[in-house]
Amino acid sequence: MRTITLIDAIREAYQEEMRRDEDVFMVGQDIRGAIFPHTKGLVEEFGSDRIVDTPIAESGMYGVALGAAQEGMRPIVDFMFGGFSYVTFSECTVTTGQYHFLHGSPRSLPIVMTAGVGTGQRLANDHAMSIHGTFAHHPGIKVAMPSTPYDAKGMFKAAIRDNNPVMIPWHMGIMMLKGDVPELGEDYVVPLGVADIKREGSDVTVMANSLQLQHALKVADKLQEEGISCEIIDPRSFVPFDLDTVLKSLEKTNRLVVVDEDWESGSFANTVSANVMEAGFDLLDAPVTRVTLPNMPVPGGYMEDYIVPTPEKIEAAIRKVLA
Amino acid sequence: MSLNKKQMIKLFTNLVRTSHYDKMMYRRMMQGKLIGFYHPAEGAVAPGVGACTFLKKDDNLNPHHRGHGIIHMVSKGIDVSTFLAEHTGKETGCCKGRSAFHFHYPDDKVYQQSGFIGHNFAPTVGWGYAAKRRGKSQVVMNCSGDGSYGEGRAHESMLMCQNWQLPVIFFCENNGMAIFSSSEEMHPTEDISSLAQGYGMPAVIVDGQDVFAVAEVAMAAIDRARKGKGPSFVECKTMRFNEHDIGTPDLKGWEDRSEEEHADMRKREPVRLATERVLADAILTQTKIDGIHEASLKEIEGVEEFADNSEICLPSEEELLADVFVD
Repeated sequence: MRTITLIDAIREAYQEEMRRDEDVFMVGQDIRGAIFPHTKGLVEEFGSDRIVDTPIAESGMYGVALGAAQEGMRPIVDFMFGGFSYVTFSECTVTTGQYHFLHGSPRSLPIVMTAGVGTGQRLANDHAMSIHGTFAHHPGIKVAMPSTPYDAKGMFKAAIRDNNPVMIPWHMGIMMLKGDVPELGEDYVVPLGVADIKREGSDVTVMANSLQLQHALKVADKLQEEGISCEIIDPRSFVPFDLDTVLKSLEKTNRLVVVDEDWESGSFANTVSANVMEAGFDLLDAPVTRVTLPNMPVPGGYMEDYIVPTPEKIEAAIRKVLA
Repeated sequence: MSLNKKQMIKLFTNLVRTSHYDKMMYRRMMQGKLIGFYHPAEGAVAPGVGACTFLKKDDNLNPHHRGHGIIHMVSKGIDVSTFLAEHTGKETGCCKGRSAFHFHYPDDKVYQQSGFIGHNFAPTVGWGYAAKRRGKSQVVMNCSGDGSYGEGRAHESMLMCQNWQLPVIFFCENNGMAIFSSSEEMHPTEDISSLAQGYGMPAVIVDGQDVFAVAEVAMAAIDRARKGKGPSFVECKTMRFNEHDIGTPDLKGWEDRSEEEHADMRKREPVRLATERVLADAILTQTKIDGIHEASLKEIEGVEEFADNSEICLPSEEELLADVFVD
């Protein structure tokens, strides 16, 4: 095992998959110069033909991926910031998601979409929003987000090898998070659609991902001192979603807090809450409680601190379901 | 490029075939034998025939939405009987009866019929990129109307294709109308092809009622792209004889298009013009021409029989859900 950052783990996934398969290539804006370090040094190894910078023209940029995937290639599209995917939203959600199904399922689109997402930089709405819930709303697209360097490398490799379109953003708040990954040359993937119990516990189940997972783990440490045992589940994938792991945990804890860094309205947290109510109502001793962003545009500057899910808010939610 | 006799006969034949296909679709829509809607191509059949008759199987094609792609696909040599089956909701349809009007012939490099006008432009860049990356001589024939050039995507696509010198033909079939809105009112310049100038892309304007003129220009553009000389822009000045789609009023702005306008347009009906030409040039006799019409009608009869004799496709919800993702 080695210790590397999450952003380096993502880059290793790109490198290994691009060496393995000539049809894998990246398209984005300023990825050669590496505006975010997940693409640092790639152009030197793979050239401008495979590390493709486009003008500031998101539809055209996404079109490179869409058309090339229809031609049988395996593109990775980098939107830079998640919110920028909205500039070509119809292509990357509706058109992409329906392609396989609506045509009678003879061919799929092996497109990987990625972007930096999330709060923490105080950059405001368009640079701070989450997109996993929005993409999960659209049928035909897998959606996942890693929480650790190990998961990041394994999940990005799985996404690139997947024959379906996959949106796999990464949270800017944990880009420098360090963690253990296998030695270079040891090939592994983390399959999409499999949740992971990041901490075992017996009193309450907390579902959290990415930066929020780090918050939840801290809260669990603190509450342990009071004798409250939290089980922390990282969904890792939103589509397909591993509901069974959550239900199994609830057999033990009977209480669920869902932390989701997304607006409350139409959020993935709502989906989980509804799924659990429909499939596991009898397992619940308290209503499912959500920790989400309030329905307001994410403010920038210091005000961001008031609306993001914090360890304090997660702790309060846990105490509420245990009350 | 000048056309030889064999090429002229092929173009004439495709023009006759596709105009009968268009009439068949119109008739079926009126008879209630077509799912959804139909956007008739009458008056504007020549551009698609000229653009696609000499494409190779490996060339990418985005058909114009008018005529629901049939003009272009038939001209490229695609058997569209499975598309009519699709358009009638049958299990033999090219998309298993799921798509209504969204065709898909990936082996013939026709990947989509987008319900979003202008959504041909973005993947066009990707098709061109793939062709160039793989060093193949395939070209991309990107057909769409004057209205589609209002989309920002058109500009992004021209920008990138010209930047990277991709083998793409921006083939604009300018019939002067987008639903009720005239090109005259919606575009600042008379010619859509003026836009190409801003990207340093060569452009040409051609009489879109003359299938032979269109084909000569299209062949030159295809040849240029195939030789790696980059994209070009072809604007066909054409016409829309009917309303936008069957059943909507035939307006310009908010008023009916005039009878004079209709009478003027029909003077330049492309099949009639082509017929006069092949007779005058002694390319075909009237007997041969009659034979082409008869063969076309017979072909279409077979296509309709195939669709009509197929079963309606009604799989279970479970079967459909299992098809959202591939394993």
